[in-house]
Amino acid sequence: MNQKRRIIPEFWFIIGGCLLFLIIFILSRTLNRYLIHIIVLMGIYSIATVSLNLTNGYTGLFSLGHAAFMAIGAYTSTLLAFPLHLRESYELPLLPAFLTGADGAMPFIVALIAGGVFAALSAILIGAPVLRLRGHYLSVASLGFMVIVTTFAKTLKGITRGSMGINAIPSYTNIYWTYLWLLIAIYVVWRIVHSRFGRAMMAIRDDETAAQVLGIFPMKYKLLSFVVGAFFAGVAGGLFAHFTKAIRPFEFSFAMTFQIVIMLIVGGMGTMSGPLVGTFSLMAFRYALKPVEEHLKVYGFIELVYAALLIIIMLWKPEGIMGKRQLKR
Amino acid sequence: MLSLGYVLQQTMNGVILGCIYSLLALGMTVVYGILRLINFAHGALITLGAFFVYFVSVRYGLSFIAGIFLVIGFGGLMGLVLDLIAYRKLRGGPEVALLITSIGFYTFIENFLKLIVSPQPYAFKTPDYLNILYRMRFLTFRSIDLFIILSSIAIMIAFSIFIKKSKMGIAMRATAENLEVANMMGIEINKVISVAFILGSAIAAFTGFLWGAKYGQISYDMGFLTGVKAFVAVVVGGVGSIPGAMLGGFVLGVAEILSVALLPTRFAEYRDGIVFAILILVLLIKPSGIMGVKEEIRV
Amino acid sequence: MLKVKNLSVKYGVIPALQDISIEVKDGQIVSLIGANGAGKTTTLKTIMGILKPANGSIVYRDEDITRMSTPQRVRKEICLVPEGRGIFNRLTVRENLLLGAYHRNDEQEINLDLEKSYSLFPRLKERENQIAGTLSGGEQQMLAIGRGLMSRPKLMLLDEPSLGLAPLVVRELYELIQEILKQGVTILLVEQNATMAIRVSDYVYLLETGNVKLEGIPKEVESLEDVRKVYLGG
Repeated sequence: MNQKRRIIPEFWFIIGGCLLFLIIFILSRTLNRYLIHIIVLMGIYSIATVSLNLTNGYTGLFSLGHAAFMAIGAYTSTLLAFPLHLRESYELPLLPAFLTGADGAMPFIVALIAGGVFAALSAILIGAPVLRLRGHYLSVASLGFMVIVTTFAKTLKGITRGSMGINAIPSYTNIYWTYLWLLIAIYVVWRIVHSRFGRAMMAIRDDETAAQVLGIFPMKYKLLSFVVGAFFAGVAGGLFAHFTKAIRPFEFSFAMTFQIVIMLIVGGMGTMSGPLVGTFSLMAFRYALKPVEEHLKVYGFIELVYAALLIIIMLWKPEGIMGKRQLKR
Repeated sequence: MLSLGYVLQQTMNGVILGCIYSLLALGMTVVYGILRLINFAHGALITLGAFFVYFVSVRYGLSFIAGIFLVIGFGGLMGLVLDLIAYRKLRGGPEVALLITSIGFYTFIENFLKLIVSPQPYAFKTPDYLNILYRMRFLTFRSIDLFIILSSIAIMIAFSIFIKKSKMGIAMRATAENLEVANMMGIEINKVISVAFILGSAIAAFTGFLWGAKYGQISYDMGFLTGVKAFVAVVVGGVGSIPGAMLGGFVLGVAEILSVALLPTRFAEYRDGIVFAILILVLLIKPSGIMGVKEEIRV
Repeated sequence: MLKVKNLSVKYGVIPALQDISIEVKDGQIVSLIGANGAGKTTTLKTIMGILKPANGSIVYRDEDITRMSTPQRVRKEICLVPEGRGIFNRLTVRENLLLGAYHRNDEQEINLDLEKSYSLFPRLKERENQIAGTLSGGEQQMLAIGRGLMSRPKLMLLDEPSLGLAPLVVRELYELIQEILKQGVTILLVEQNATMAIRVSDYVYLLETGNVKLEGIPKEVESLEDVRKVYLGG
């Protein structure tokens, strides 16, 4: 009998990845800096949306605190990777000797992962109590968590420099790092979704009681999706910090969560391509309109349009652009 | 220095803030009780109310009394509009959908104000009769504070009478308890919900005025955190209980002010964090709140 | 008074009622009996307008009410006493009763009816201002029926009134039901307790998985071997 050669999905990922990097290479050589800047930001936000999709879209945990994990990741990786010779002048603490490399700071990749890990740890911490809550209680509690995190960012001045934030962050993020991490995030989410973990999560999303009756222990899976989501949010935060070169507590507020949430919903929760479509289209829209905003001096206009878009989508196509019947009754 | 006078003064400040939270919690629980919707747009109504009175009375000189009556009507109208445009269509769908849409509305209104009015805060100047200073042995306060306390009490009493005695009030309580059966009784659910929105929003708009008058400053983003704190007050006092909501407001207001007052000054910035820490604690330890009716908060 | 013709109701894609036809004449008590899930409650809910039929019609006193909303049907003097009483536990007895008359405006008459309910159910008068949730099962059922009466119905839909009640209470309940009938209210009764239902009815429909399996006057239905075995305990 002929044995059918199964082409494992990872193969496609690798092919796709190579193709992607080829495209990025070409783009980085041909496009101007402004456009590259936008593309990198799109990548960073995509990581955030893709990770939020795991928690919100596939597991049905409507967390509003994603910005908190980005903040944790941003501050952690910044503090770990900040060059030694600048630390004094910027009033940042020195790292204990055993943690650092030769120049008193961690290499970027390590710091980035550490940021993600730290975010994931805090997700475990806050997840255990909060994930037991139902629906909108979970949402408000996660929102509360975000407020608590930003409050700490403002008050632990010794570490975070408070409301002033941290400036002169070295610009380690580039387009390759960003899209590599995006690829990793997509792959991880994809693998989880298409495994028994993913099926359990979706069962929990659709009917938690029924899932329990089937022997699924909800907390385990909720925590898994929450923590993985938080990890990548932390990485996104770290990438963000080392791209925008400055971070302040008020940046990681509800406005940022709202951005990510709307990109996810417009794109379509609970689908693999949804977050990507949502992020890219909305950000493209934003930057296309930016000149109009500046010309007419109508700042905040884009947020207004975003909000209107969200309302319209919720009323008429709640499953988003890519979605199939999910939020609809 | 923790003198008796200081503690009393801060307690009073807490009570005044608590009055505002109570009113907001009341408005929020009216809608929440029936629709199980955390109305983020509630916060937007606070901002709208404040700006409305600002433009009508502070800028264009209409008397404040008139301004107050008008803002209550305006708030009610806005609530009705929100109900008719969106919430009615989403009724019966997943809870999350309502939540997301209300966030959308809040963001829309906030950015609308930011755009049309200004990103900068405005000074809210109140007439002199609201600024009379009273100095007593331990307490110092202004007439606006008295006004807040009195009007809060008045509204709460009026509302309690309404919800207990009037036909619509009983219908609202019934609908909040069991919407399906209320429908079976022939109660017009849509009308009940509209009334809930009108009442809640009117109160929220009025509270916006109170806030502006008390703190002397209004800005496009003043409503967000306050609105969410209103929900915290509802949870603390007990979801599903109207007296609970009012009690929760007071408890939260006093807790917020006192915790800042009694801790060393550098903790003052923890204020908002403390409120949400209280929320998480309550949800973990006694989710039904102080006076709550058993509702499935946990899964 | 009530003619249900070829009614079909679906829950999503799952058919709950298939082509059901039922008739209730003025002044009668008609029973729908059958096992759990047979579609009895679904029938009542559809007649009340809570569920929308996929097919078929409901004609009430020569008027097609198939498209009407529930409040409209209530105003046409149909009332539903739901399964499990459906009283508002957090409201008082009095408030529950008053809600039954929600759609009415004639205050004096409402008060008269309140008194009438109290005379029919003296125990309710005693507990007038008590929270409804503290009443016993039997009292709650009486409250539910009393509330239904407050809307001055011509047709009362009773869904499993004997559910969860002790036999003695059930007997008292059925005496009350017959009293109500005497006062001129037509009753469509749904019961799992087939014995009691057949005893008081003028006509019986037996539902099985969404279909009318058989119908007839009580004597006939009772005598059928199958019915006796399955529904009447042999």
